[in-house]
Amino acid sequence: MSSPFDINGGACVAMVGKDCVAIACDLRLGMQALTVSNNFPKLFNFGPSTFLGLTGLATDVSTVSDLFRYKVNMYRLREERNIAPQTLANLVSSSLYEKRFGPFFVSPVVAGVNYTTGKPFICGFDSIGCIDFAKDFIVSGTASEQLFGTCEGLWEPDMSPDDLFETISQALLSAVDRDALSGWGAQVYIIEKDKVTKRLLKGRQD
Amino acid sequence: MTSLVNQQPHSEAIGYSFSQSTHAPNKQHSFYPYTDNGGSTLGITGADFAILAGDTRSVAGYNINSRYAPKVFKIGGDDETGEGAHILLSVVGFAADGHALKERLDAVVKMYKYQHGKPMSVRACAQRLSTILYQKRFFPYYVHAILAGLDEEGTGALYSYDPVGSYEREQCRAAGSAASLIMPFLDNQVNFKNQYIPGSGEGHALEPKKAGPLPRSTVEQLVRDAFTSAVERHIEVGDGLQMMVITANGIEEIYTPLKQD
Repeated sequence: MSSPFDINGGACVAMVGKDCVAIACDLRLGMQALTVSNNFPKLFNFGPSTFLGLTGLATDVSTVSDLFRYKVNMYRLREERNIAPQTLANLVSSSLYEKRFGPFFVSPVVAGVNYTTGKPFICGFDSIGCIDFAKDFIVSGTASEQLFGTCEGLWEPDMSPDDLFETISQALLSAVDRDALSGWGAQVYIIEKDKVTKRLLKGRQD
Repeated sequence: MTSLVNQQPHSEAIGYSFSQSTHAPNKQHSFYPYTDNGGSTLGITGADFAILAGDTRSVAGYNINSRYAPKVFKIGGDDETGEGAHILLSVVGFAADGHALKERLDAVVKMYKYQHGKPMSVRACAQRLSTILYQKRFFPYYVHAILAGLDEEGTGALYSYDPVGSYEREQCRAAGSAASLIMPFLDNQVNFKNQYIPGSGEGHALEPKKAGPLPRSTVEQLVRDAFTSAVERHIEVGDGLQMMVITANGIEEIYTPLKQD
Protein backbone atom coordinates (compact mmCIF):
# COMPACT_ATOMS: atom_id res chain seq x y z
CA MET A 1 0.00 0.00 0.00
CA SER A 2 3.04 2.31 0.20
CA SER A 3 3.55 1.99 -3.56
CA PRO A 4 3.78 5.45 -5.16
CA PHE A 5 1.01 4.38 -7.54
CA ASP A 6 -1.45 3.89 -4.65
CA ILE A 7 -0.86 7.01 -2.53
CA ASN A 8 -3.17 9.51 -4.24
CA GLY A 9 -5.63 7.10 -5.91
CA GLY A 10 -7.54 7.56 -9.15
CA ALA A 11 -8.87 5.71 -12.16
CA CYS A 12 -8.90 6.17 -15.92
CA VAL A 13 -10.46 4.20 -18.80
CA ALA A 14 -10.62 4.52 -22.60
CA MET A 15 -12.90 2.65 -25.02
CA VAL A 16 -13.33 2.26 -28.78
CA GLY A 17 -16.70 2.54 -30.53
CA LYS A 18 -17.80 2.81 -34.17
CA ASP A 19 -15.87 5.80 -35.61
CA CYS A 20 -15.53 7.20 -32.09
CA VAL A 21 -13.56 6.78 -28.86
CA ALA A 22 -14.31 7.66 -25.24
CA ILE A 23 -11.98 8.44 -22.36
CA ALA A 24 -13.04 8.92 -18.75
CA CYS A 25 -11.50 9.48 -15.32
CA ASP A 26 -12.56 9.97 -11.70
CA LEU A 27 -12.02 13.26 -9.84
CA ARG A 28 -10.58 12.18 -6.48
CA LEU A 29 -7.24 13.31 -5.10
CA GLY A 30 -6.25 11.76 -1.80
CA MET A 31 -3.39 11.22 0.61
CA GLN A 32 -3.74 7.53 1.53
CA ALA A 33 -7.27 7.26 3.05
CA LEU A 34 -7.80 11.04 3.41
CA THR A 35 -9.54 12.78 0.50
CA VAL A 36 -7.89 16.16 -0.19
CA SER A 37 -9.82 17.25 -3.29
CA ASN A 38 -12.85 16.13 -5.29
CA ASN A 39 -11.95 18.18 -8.36
CA PHE A 40 -8.72 16.71 -9.73
CA PRO A 41 -9.27 15.74 -13.39
CA LYS A 42 -6.78 13.29 -14.88
CA LEU A 43 -7.53 13.92 -18.57
CA PHE A 44 -5.51 16.37 -20.68
CA ASN A 45 -6.19 17.68 -24.17
CA PHE A 46 -3.38 17.71 -26.77
CA GLY A 47 -5.19 18.67 -29.97
CA PRO A 48 -8.73 18.80 -31.39
CA SER A 49 -9.32 15.06 -30.98
CA THR A 50 -6.37 13.74 -28.95
CA PHE A 51 -6.46 13.13 -25.19
CA LEU A 52 -4.03 11.83 -22.58
CA GLY A 53 -5.20 10.29 -19.29
CA LEU A 54 -2.75 10.06 -16.38
CA THR A 55 -3.18 8.14 -13.13
CA GLY A 56 -0.65 7.41 -10.40
CA LEU A 57 1.38 9.74 -8.18
CA ALA A 58 -0.37 13.15 -8.35
CA THR A 59 2.84 15.20 -8.44
CA ASP A 60 3.97 13.15 -11.46
CA VAL A 61 0.53 13.48 -13.08
CA SER A 62 0.97 17.29 -12.97
CA THR A 63 4.64 17.19 -14.01
CA VAL A 64 4.10 14.75 -16.88
CA SER A 65 1.02 16.60 -18.19
CA ASP A 66 3.00 19.89 -18.14
CA LEU A 67 5.95 18.21 -19.85
CA PHE A 68 3.75 16.91 -22.66
CA ARG A 69 1.97 20.26 -23.02
CA TYR A 70 5.44 21.76 -23.67
CA LYS A 71 6.50 18.94 -26.01
CA VAL A 72 3.24 18.95 -27.99
CA ASN A 73 3.33 22.77 -28.31
CA MET A 74 6.89 22.51 -29.68
CA TYR A 75 5.74 19.79 -32.09
CA ARG A 76 2.85 21.97 -33.32
CA LEU A 77 5.15 24.99 -33.89
CA ARG A 78 7.75 22.93 -35.78
CA GLU A 79 5.33 20.86 -37.86
CA GLU A 80 2.57 23.49 -38.25
CA ARG A 81 -0.09 20.84 -37.67
CA ASN A 82 -1.77 19.09 -34.76
CA ILE A 83 -0.33 15.92 -33.24
CA ALA A 84 -1.98 12.62 -34.18
CA PRO A 85 -2.86 10.19 -31.37
CA GLN A 86 -0.39 7.62 -32.78
CA THR A 87 2.40 10.21 -32.74
CA LEU A 88 1.52 11.25 -29.19
CA ALA A 89 1.66 7.59 -28.17
CA ASN A 90 5.21 7.24 -29.50
CA LEU A 91 6.21 10.57 -27.90
CA VAL A 92 4.84 9.38 -24.54
CA SER A 93 6.61 6.03 -24.89
CA SER A 94 10.05 7.48 -25.73
CA SER A 95 9.76 10.24 -23.12
CA LEU A 96 8.92 7.76 -20.36
CA TYR A 97 11.73 5.41 -21.39
CA GLU A 98 14.23 8.27 -21.07
CA LYS A 99 13.57 7.95 -17.34
CA ARG A 100 14.09 4.15 -17.42
CA PHE A 101 15.94 4.00 -14.08
CA GLY A 102 14.08 6.78 -12.25
CA PRO A 103 10.62 6.65 -13.72
CA PHE A 104 7.58 8.90 -13.34
CA PHE A 105 5.04 6.93 -11.30
CA VAL A 106 2.21 7.29 -13.81
CA SER A 107 0.10 4.92 -15.96
CA PRO A 108 -0.82 6.92 -19.07
CA VAL A 109 -3.69 6.28 -21.49
CA VAL A 110 -3.96 7.85 -24.96
CA ALA A 111 -7.28 8.14 -26.80
CA GLY A 112 -8.20 9.98 -29.99
CA VAL A 113 -9.49 9.90 -33.53
CA ASN A 114 -6.82 10.26 -36.22
CA TYR A 115 -7.69 13.44 -38.16
CA THR A 116 -6.30 12.16 -41.51
CA THR A 117 -7.58 8.57 -41.51
CA GLY A 118 -10.63 9.14 -39.28
CA LYS A 119 -9.79 5.91 -37.42
CA PRO A 120 -10.28 5.66 -33.65
CA PHE A 121 -7.13 4.96 -31.61
CA ILE A 122 -6.49 4.03 -27.97
CA CYS A 123 -3.46 2.70 -26.15
CA GLY A 124 -2.04 2.39 -22.64
CA PHE A 125 1.48 2.39 -21.16
CA ASP A 126 3.35 1.16 -18.13
CA SER A 127 5.43 3.71 -16.19
CA ILE A 128 8.51 3.16 -18.43
CA GLY A 129 6.72 3.50 -21.74
CA CYS A 130 5.84 -0.01 -22.93
CA ILE A 131 2.80 0.49 -25.19
CA ASP A 132 -0.30 -1.66 -24.95
CA PHE A 133 -2.24 -1.31 -28.23
CA ALA A 134 -5.80 -2.47 -27.61
CA LYS A 135 -8.72 -2.82 -30.00
CA ASP A 136 -11.34 -2.67 -27.23
CA PHE A 137 -10.47 -0.79 -24.01
CA ILE A 138 -7.61 0.38 -21.80
CA VAL A 139 -7.79 0.76 -18.02
CA SER A 140 -5.42 2.32 -15.49
CA GLY A 141 -5.26 3.43 -11.87
CA THR A 142 -6.04 1.97 -8.44
CA ALA A 143 -9.40 0.65 -9.70
CA SER A 144 -7.85 -1.12 -12.70
CA GLU A 145 -8.88 -4.63 -11.54
CA GLN A 146 -12.46 -3.49 -11.05
CA LEU A 147 -12.37 -1.71 -14.43
CA PHE A 148 -11.13 -4.88 -16.16
CA GLY A 149 -14.16 -6.71 -14.77
CA THR A 150 -16.77 -4.10 -15.70
CA CYS A 151 -15.28 -3.32 -19.14
CA GLU A 152 -14.91 -6.99 -20.06
CA GLY A 153 -18.54 -7.51 -19.04
CA LEU A 154 -20.14 -4.41 -20.61
CA TRP A 155 -18.07 -3.57 -23.72
CA GLU A 156 -19.17 -4.71 -27.18
CA PRO A 157 -17.81 -3.86 -30.65
CA ASP A 158 -19.06 -1.01 -32.90
CA MET A 159 -21.05 1.03 -30.40
CA SER A 160 -22.57 4.40 -31.37
CA PRO A 161 -21.31 7.51 -29.50
CA ASP A 162 -24.39 7.50 -27.23
CA ASP A 163 -24.06 3.79 -26.40
CA LEU A 164 -20.33 4.24 -25.86
CA PHE A 165 -20.97 7.08 -23.39
CA GLU A 166 -23.44 4.97 -21.41
CA THR A 167 -21.09 1.96 -21.39
CA ILE A 168 -17.93 3.80 -20.33
CA SER A 169 -19.87 5.75 -17.67
CA GLN A 170 -21.47 2.64 -16.14
CA ALA A 171 -18.15 0.77 -16.29
CA LEU A 172 -16.26 3.59 -14.55
CA LEU A 173 -18.89 4.44 -11.90
CA SER A 174 -19.44 0.79 -10.90
CA ALA A 175 -15.69 0.16 -10.77
CA VAL A 176 -14.77 3.19 -8.63
CA ASP A 177 -17.59 2.41 -6.17
CA ARG A 178 -15.67 -0.78 -5.28
CA ASP A 179 -12.36 1.07 -4.85
CA ALA A 180 -11.80 3.16 -1.73
CA LEU A 181 -9.13 5.32 -3.41
CA SER A 182 -11.16 6.34 -6.49
CA GLY A 183 -14.48 8.07 -7.16
CA TRP A 184 -15.99 11.38 -6.01
CA GLY A 185 -17.39 12.17 -9.47
CA ALA A 186 -16.16 11.58 -12.97
CA GLN A 187 -15.35 13.27 -16.27
CA VAL A 188 -16.14 11.70 -19.67
CA TYR A 189 -15.07 12.78 -23.15
CA ILE A 190 -16.73 11.30 -26.26
CA ILE A 191 -14.47 11.94 -29.26
CA GLU A 192 -15.79 11.76 -32.83
CA LYS A 193 -14.00 12.86 -36.03
CA ASP A 194 -15.11 16.49 -35.80
CA LYS A 195 -16.94 16.66 -32.48
CA VAL A 196 -15.90 16.29 -28.85
CA THR A 197 -18.51 16.05 -26.09
CA LYS A 198 -17.50 16.59 -22.45
CA ARG A 199 -19.77 15.38 -19.66
CA LEU A 200 -19.44 15.56 -15.87
CA LEU A 201 -20.87 12.70 -13.80
CA LYS A 202 -21.83 13.16 -10.15
CA GLY A 203 -21.51 9.57 -8.94
CA ARG A 204 -21.37 8.58 -5.26
CA GLN A 205 -19.83 11.24 -3.04
CA ASP A 206 -18.23 8.87 -0.50
CA MET B 1 4.24 -30.79 -1.38
CA THR B 2 7.18 -28.71 -2.53
CA SER B 3 5.12 -25.57 -2.25
CA LEU B 4 4.50 -26.23 1.45
CA VAL B 5 8.17 -26.48 2.35
CA ASN B 6 9.92 -23.17 1.89
CA GLN B 7 13.53 -23.80 0.92
CA GLN B 8 15.87 -20.84 1.17
CA PRO B 9 19.55 -20.47 0.34
CA HIS B 10 21.73 -20.52 3.46
CA SER B 11 23.54 -17.27 2.87
CA GLU B 12 23.36 -14.15 0.73
CA ALA B 13 27.14 -13.54 0.88
CA ILE B 14 29.50 -14.43 -2.01
CA GLY B 15 31.21 -17.75 -1.33
CA TYR B 16 34.42 -19.23 -2.77
CA SER B 17 34.99 -22.89 -3.43
CA PHE B 18 38.32 -22.80 -1.55
CA SER B 19 37.14 -20.86 1.48
CA GLN B 20 37.14 -22.93 4.64
CA SER B 21 34.23 -22.37 6.93
CA THR B 22 35.15 -22.74 10.59
CA HIS B 23 31.64 -23.62 11.68
CA ALA B 24 28.63 -25.22 10.01
CA PRO B 25 26.32 -22.73 8.29
CA ASN B 26 23.08 -21.98 10.09
CA LYS B 27 20.06 -23.20 8.17
CA GLN B 28 16.72 -21.52 8.70
CA HIS B 29 13.83 -23.92 8.37
CA SER B 30 10.32 -22.68 7.94
CA PHE B 31 6.89 -24.10 7.29
CA TYR B 32 3.98 -22.08 5.97
CA PRO B 33 0.79 -24.04 6.51
CA TYR B 34 -1.27 -22.28 3.80
CA THR B 35 -1.29 -22.28 -0.02
CA ASP B 36 -3.41 -20.06 -2.27
CA ASN B 37 -5.18 -22.37 -4.71
CA GLY B 38 -6.81 -19.50 -6.61
CA GLY B 39 -10.12 -19.63 -8.43
CA SER B 40 -13.33 -17.72 -7.93
CA THR B 41 -16.88 -18.35 -6.75
CA LEU B 42 -20.12 -16.44 -7.20
CA GLY B 43 -23.63 -16.65 -5.74
CA ILE B 44 -26.86 -14.91 -6.76
CA THR B 45 -30.38 -15.37 -5.32
CA GLY B 46 -33.78 -15.13 -6.99
CA ALA B 47 -37.43 -15.22 -5.84
CA ASP B 48 -37.57 -19.03 -5.59
CA PHE B 49 -34.00 -20.18 -6.27
CA ALA B 50 -30.35 -19.58 -5.48
CA ILE B 51 -27.35 -20.15 -7.73
CA LEU B 52 -23.84 -20.92 -6.48
CA ALA B 53 -21.12 -21.17 -9.08
CA GLY B 54 -17.36 -21.61 -9.17
CA ASP B 55 -14.63 -22.30 -11.69
CA THR B 56 -12.97 -25.71 -11.45
CA ARG B 57 -9.29 -24.76 -11.88
CA SER B 58 -6.92 -25.34 -8.96
CA VAL B 59 -3.53 -23.61 -9.02
CA ALA B 60 -0.36 -23.31 -6.94
CA GLY B 61 1.73 -20.37 -8.09
CA TYR B 62 1.89 -20.52 -11.90
CA ASN B 63 1.16 -24.27 -11.98
CA ILE B 64 -2.24 -25.77 -12.67
CA ASN B 65 -2.76 -28.66 -10.26
CA SER B 66 -6.16 -29.67 -11.60
CA ARG B 67 -8.62 -28.64 -14.29
CA TYR B 68 -11.51 -30.21 -12.41
CA ALA B 69 -11.41 -29.50 -8.68
CA PRO B 70 -14.95 -28.48 -7.66
CA LYS B 71 -15.42 -25.64 -5.17
CA VAL B 72 -19.19 -25.94 -4.73
CA PHE B 73 -20.57 -28.73 -2.51
CA LYS B 74 -23.92 -30.13 -1.41
CA ILE B 75 -24.30 -30.08 2.38
CA GLY B 76 -26.31 -32.59 4.44
CA GLY B 77 -27.07 -35.12 1.71
CA ASP B 78 -27.92 -38.77 2.42
CA ASP B 79 -24.86 -40.34 0.76
CA GLU B 80 -21.70 -39.50 -1.22
CA THR B 81 -23.78 -38.29 -4.20
CA GLY B 82 -25.36 -35.61 -1.98
CA GLU B 83 -28.86 -36.86 -2.77
CA GLY B 84 -31.48 -35.10 -0.64
CA ALA B 85 -29.29 -32.13 0.27
CA HIS B 86 -30.98 -28.72 0.62
CA ILE B 87 -27.95 -26.49 1.33
CA LEU B 88 -24.99 -25.52 -0.85
CA LEU B 89 -21.53 -24.40 0.27
CA SER B 90 -18.77 -22.89 -1.83
CA VAL B 91 -15.23 -22.43 -0.56
CA VAL B 92 -12.37 -20.59 -2.25
CA GLY B 93 -8.87 -19.89 -1.01
CA PHE B 94 -6.86 -22.75 0.51
CA ALA B 95 -8.42 -25.90 -0.99
CA ALA B 96 -7.38 -28.27 1.82
CA ASP B 97 -9.03 -26.05 4.45
CA GLY B 98 -12.05 -25.69 2.18
CA HIS B 99 -12.38 -29.45 1.95
CA ALA B 100 -12.00 -29.86 5.72
CA LEU B 101 -14.59 -27.16 6.35
CA LYS B 102 -17.08 -28.76 3.95
CA GLU B 103 -16.64 -32.16 5.67
CA ARG B 104 -17.16 -30.54 9.11
CA LEU B 105 -20.33 -28.70 8.09
CA ASP B 106 -21.70 -31.75 6.25
CA ALA B 107 -21.27 -33.86 9.40
CA VAL B 108 -22.88 -31.19 11.59
CA VAL B 109 -25.94 -30.86 9.32
CA LYS B 110 -26.36 -34.65 9.21
CA MET B 111 -26.06 -34.98 13.01
CA TYR B 112 -28.66 -32.24 13.40
CA LYS B 113 -31.13 -34.23 11.29
CA TYR B 114 -30.53 -37.48 13.21
CA GLN B 115 -30.84 -35.76 16.62
CA HIS B 116 -33.81 -33.49 15.87
CA GLY B 117 -35.63 -35.55 13.26
CA LYS B 118 -35.94 -32.59 10.88
CA PRO B 119 -33.61 -30.97 8.35
CA MET B 120 -31.53 -27.99 9.52
CA SER B 121 -32.81 -24.61 8.31
CA VAL B 122 -30.46 -22.52 6.16
CA ARG B 123 -30.55 -19.76 8.81
CA ALA B 124 -29.42 -22.18 11.52
CA CYS B 125 -26.76 -23.65 9.25
CA ALA B 126 -25.49 -20.15 8.46
CA GLN B 127 -25.09 -19.33 12.17
CA ARG B 128 -23.43 -22.72 12.82
CA LEU B 129 -20.92 -22.15 10.02
CA SER B 130 -19.99 -18.80 11.54
CA THR B 131 -19.35 -20.54 14.88
CA ILE B 132 -17.23 -23.25 13.23
CA LEU B 133 -15.08 -20.61 11.53
CA TYR B 134 -14.67 -18.50 14.69
CA GLN B 135 -13.66 -21.54 16.74
CA LYS B 136 -10.47 -21.47 14.70
CA ARG B 137 -9.98 -17.69 15.22
CA PHE B 138 -6.21 -18.00 15.80
CA PHE B 139 -5.46 -20.68 13.16
CA PRO B 140 -8.21 -19.96 10.65
CA TYR B 141 -9.66 -21.97 7.81
CA TYR B 142 -8.08 -19.87 5.01
CA VAL B 143 -11.22 -19.65 2.91
CA HIS B 144 -13.96 -17.31 1.78
CA ALA B 145 -17.15 -19.32 2.16
CA ILE B 146 -20.58 -18.72 0.62
CA LEU B 147 -23.65 -20.64 1.81
CA ALA B 148 -26.83 -20.90 -0.28
CA GLY B 149 -30.28 -22.43 0.08
CA LEU B 150 -33.95 -21.53 0.41
CA ASP B 151 -35.24 -19.76 3.55
CA GLU B 152 -38.41 -20.56 5.56
CA GLU B 153 -40.55 -18.67 2.98
CA GLY B 154 -38.98 -20.55 0.07
CA THR B 155 -37.08 -17.56 -1.31
CA GLY B 156 -33.41 -17.78 -2.25
CA ALA B 157 -30.99 -17.21 0.62
CA LEU B 158 -27.28 -16.44 0.36
CA TYR B 159 -24.79 -15.94 3.19
CA SER B 160 -21.17 -14.85 2.70
CA TYR B 161 -18.33 -15.23 5.22
CA ASP B 162 -14.85 -13.95 5.92
CA PRO B 163 -12.22 -16.54 7.03
CA VAL B 164 -13.01 -16.06 10.76
CA GLY B 165 -16.80 -16.24 10.60
CA SER B 166 -18.07 -12.69 10.14
CA TYR B 167 -21.15 -13.14 7.95
CA GLU B 168 -24.02 -11.37 6.24
CA ARG B 169 -27.10 -12.35 4.16
CA GLU B 170 -26.90 -10.84 0.66
CA GLN B 171 -28.51 -10.93 -2.78
CA CYS B 172 -25.24 -11.56 -4.57
CA ARG B 173 -21.56 -12.04 -3.79
CA ALA B 174 -18.36 -12.89 -5.61
CA ALA B 175 -15.38 -14.37 -3.76
CA GLY B 176 -11.86 -15.51 -4.57
CA SER B 177 -9.07 -14.21 -6.76
CA ALA B 178 -11.33 -12.57 -9.39
CA ALA B 179 -13.82 -11.14 -6.86
CA SER B 180 -12.58 -7.60 -7.52
CA LEU B 181 -13.34 -8.07 -11.25
CA ILE B 182 -16.75 -9.69 -10.83
CA MET B 183 -18.24 -7.75 -7.87
CA PRO B 184 -18.60 -4.30 -9.52
CA PHE B 185 -20.17 -5.97 -12.58
CA LEU B 186 -22.71 -7.64 -10.27
CA ASP B 187 -23.43 -4.34 -8.46
CA ASN B 188 -24.33 -2.88 -11.84
CA GLN B 189 -26.26 -5.78 -13.36
CA VAL B 190 -27.96 -7.40 -10.33
CA ASN B 191 -28.54 -4.50 -7.91
CA PHE B 192 -28.71 -1.91 -10.76
CA LYS B 193 -26.22 0.39 -8.99
CA ASN B 194 -25.56 3.68 -10.86
CA GLN B 195 -28.63 3.06 -13.05
CA TYR B 196 -31.50 5.56 -13.11
CA ILE B 197 -34.95 5.71 -14.75
CA PRO B 198 -34.53 8.01 -17.78
CA GLY B 199 -36.58 11.24 -17.62
CA SER B 200 -37.84 10.59 -14.07
CA GLY B 201 -36.53 13.91 -12.77
CA GLU B 202 -33.65 16.37 -12.57
CA GLY B 203 -30.75 16.20 -10.10
CA HIS B 204 -31.68 14.55 -6.79
CA ALA B 205 -35.25 13.93 -8.04
CA LEU B 206 -33.88 11.45 -10.59
CA GLU B 207 -35.18 8.05 -9.56
CA PRO B 208 -32.76 5.14 -9.16
CA LYS B 209 -33.70 1.90 -10.96
CA LYS B 210 -35.23 -0.43 -8.36
CA ALA B 211 -33.50 -3.77 -7.83
CA GLY B 212 -35.75 -6.81 -7.54
CA PRO B 213 -35.42 -10.59 -7.85
CA LEU B 214 -34.30 -11.56 -11.36
CA PRO B 215 -35.64 -14.53 -13.37
CA ARG B 216 -33.52 -17.68 -13.39
CA SER B 217 -32.54 -17.48 -17.08
CA THR B 218 -31.20 -13.93 -16.60
CA VAL B 219 -29.22 -14.90 -13.50
CA GLU B 220 -27.71 -17.95 -15.23
CA GLN B 221 -26.59 -15.79 -18.15
CA LEU B 222 -25.09 -13.18 -15.77
CA VAL B 223 -23.09 -15.91 -14.02
CA ARG B 224 -21.76 -17.20 -17.37
CA ASP B 225 -20.88 -13.65 -18.50
CA ALA B 226 -19.16 -12.88 -15.18
CA PHE B 227 -16.97 -15.96 -15.44
CA THR B 228 -16.11 -15.67 -19.15
CA SER B 229 -15.04 -12.07 -18.40
CA ALA B 230 -12.96 -13.16 -15.39
CA VAL B 231 -11.30 -15.92 -17.46
CA GLU B 232 -10.14 -13.33 -20.03
CA ARG B 233 -8.33 -11.18 -17.48
CA HIS B 234 -7.32 -13.46 -14.58
CA ILE B 235 -4.88 -16.33 -15.00
CA GLU B 236 -6.11 -18.28 -11.94
CA VAL B 237 -9.66 -18.60 -13.31
CA GLY B 238 -10.62 -21.02 -16.08
CA ASP B 239 -11.03 -24.63 -17.28
CA GLY B 240 -14.64 -25.21 -16.23
CA LEU B 241 -17.71 -23.56 -14.73
CA GLN B 242 -19.68 -25.51 -12.15
CA MET B 243 -23.12 -24.07 -11.43
CA MET B 244 -25.42 -25.43 -8.72
CA VAL B 245 -29.03 -24.24 -8.80
CA ILE B 246 -31.16 -24.88 -5.72
CA THR B 247 -34.97 -24.75 -6.04
CA ALA B 248 -37.91 -26.29 -4.16
CA ASN B 249 -37.48 -29.32 -6.47
CA GLY B 250 -33.90 -29.95 -5.33
CA ILE B 251 -30.42 -29.20 -6.59
CA GLU B 252 -29.46 -29.09 -10.26
CA GLU B 253 -25.81 -29.18 -11.29
CA ILE B 254 -24.69 -27.63 -14.60
CA TYR B 255 -21.11 -27.94 -15.89
CA THR B 256 -19.85 -25.95 -18.87
CA PRO B 257 -16.26 -25.77 -20.13
CA LEU B 258 -14.29 -22.51 -19.89
CA LYS B 259 -11.08 -21.53 -21.71
CA GLN B 260 -8.05 -23.61 -20.67
CA ASP B 261 -5.32 -21.02 -21.42
